[in-house]
Amino acid sequence: MTRVAVIGIGQSLRGDDAAGLEAVRRWREKFPETAGKPEVQIEACELPGLSLIETLSNVDAAILVDAVQSSAKPGTVHRLSENELASFPSSSKSAHGWGVAETLRLRSQLTGTKVGIRIIGIEAEQMELGAGLSEAVENAIPILCEVIEEEIHALL
Amino acid sequence: MKNIEVPALARVEGEGGLYIGLENGKAVEIRLDIYEPPRFFEGFLKDRFLQEVPDITARICGICPVAYQMSAAYALEHALGVKISPQARALRRLMYCGEYIESHALHIYMLQAPDLLGKESALELAAESPEVVKNALRLKKIGNELLRIIGGRSVHPVNVCVGGFYSWPDEKALKALLPDLEWGLNAALDTVKLATSLHYPYLEIDYEFVALHHPDEYGVIEGGVLSSTGRKLSIVEYETGYIEEHVRHSNALHSHTVDNNTYLVGPLARLNLNHEQLLPKAKQALKDYKIQLPLKNPYKSLIARAIELVHFYEEAIQLVKEYKPTGPAHVELKLKAGEGSGATEAPRGLLYHRYKIDANGMIQFAKITPPTAQNLPRIEADLFALTPRIINMPEAEATRTAEHLVRSYDPCISCATHFLKLKVEEK
Repeated sequence: MTRVAVIGIGQSLRGDDAAGLEAVRRWREKFPETAGKPEVQIEACELPGLSLIETLSNVDAAILVDAVQSSAKPGTVHRLSENELASFPSSSKSAHGWGVAETLRLRSQLTGTKVGIRIIGIEAEQMELGAGLSEAVENAIPILCEVIEEEIHALL
Repeated sequence: MKNIEVPALARVEGEGGLYIGLENGKAVEIRLDIYEPPRFFEGFLKDRFLQEVPDITARICGICPVAYQMSAAYALEHALGVKISPQARALRRLMYCGEYIESHALHIYMLQAPDLLGKESALELAAESPEVVKNALRLKKIGNELLRIIGGRSVHPVNVCVGGFYSWPDEKALKALLPDLEWGLNAALDTVKLATSLHYPYLEIDYEFVALHHPDEYGVIEGGVLSSTGRKLSIVEYETGYIEEHVRHSNALHSHTVDNNTYLVGPLARLNLNHEQLLPKAKQALKDYKIQLPLKNPYKSLIARAIELVHFYEEAIQLVKEYKPTGPAHVELKLKAGEGSGATEAPRGLLYHRYKIDANGMIQFAKITPPTAQNLPRIEADLFALTPRIINMPEAEATRTAEHLVRSYDPCISCATHFLKLKVEEK
């Protein structure tokens, strides 16, 4: 049995940053059968720091759903693998604290094992404190739910 | 040397910039844009029911949600004239142990130690000394577990309420953590050993230290606000001694004392003012490793964190052993209009809240003063003091020493976003 974690990442009070949390919440409502399977673990994560390592220690694969900023149109759904995330730069000048990419790298470095990671990103428009989801992102949430469902079936 | 500019500081929680302007070998301008005051939250809380406040303020900082919940709960309990049960109080201290353990383990090993060991990041440290990093993650995880059992499994802990807790955590689950906590206590003692073996950049500052002080326990919740100048204020009097002011180059509010002094909150202040109240093993570690107090070197806040790590593991073991839930987990609230202040010691330092509520328990006014707001003028003053020492270093080393100073404060940049950055590649 493949154990899969579905992890929504974001800040619920920060505009489109909440998209990952919201998408996982709605996917769970829309696909209760998949979400209710014993091998499926659902997590909401406001600070995707090192605790991701703990979450990932109990599963064989994980789907991370998070807001993304690149140069694409707001609402664009990205499907990514682990090594497509911006890597930890060798100079500290643009490095963050502990982001998703660094945490995943640290994890595989320490354990020597790879968990199958799929990342579903949604292009954010704004991350204003107190703002809700922007229209483009809101409209893309149903598509995100379908993508989560599809990815999870590919893993199970 | 040119000016020192670090557009984005690594390994501080969030993202911030540092600029040191030099003229004839002296620092003439220092700008530190690392911090956003929680003004949004102060506004957002208005007209919300008081019981929502602990949950909303928990989101101000992803690293120390418990601190925000605790200061909020105490302030609102003060407004209502509520006193929580001794058991709920003990559980709050235990929960705070979890937060200290998690936050200090993260800061010591993953954020500051790489600087002292000459590593670019904890990833590099993990490549060379995987056991050190594995132990660090385990130390941190035990704190998480404690928080999860007491706070409930959610995005952030949800069990704290005005009046105590919504429900008592499971006794068996807590007691089952004891072997891990015992392991953690030993690993924390090893952390003190490591911390005292490191070589720290030299900087001695005559700080005014400010922390909560409680005569019977290591000050974290309740007690009074003590300064190393001897100024003693009750929590309600906090704003008569410590004043927040707007500064021009950023959104940030800067704090100073009523005598117009900068002051320092956080691990150094707590340890220097409250070491008499440390538990025996932590006190013994101070002796064993010949740690001379007061510590006045900001880089050595790592040593203070290590001692506190021992203390909070020790206290967690005590509190878990004594935990026996009986009676209601929270006091029933009788709503009335009023005003209340609360302060607790977040891992980064004193965190003060004040609220006004109406007769229905709705928030009319909120004021939140986080530790980083109080420390900012101090960090800038430290950078001025540091500049003559680093001016003749190669640029990379100077930059690193300045960055390290900022990191040693463990500044909290409130609720930064955490979106993913994409590597865009043409295919």
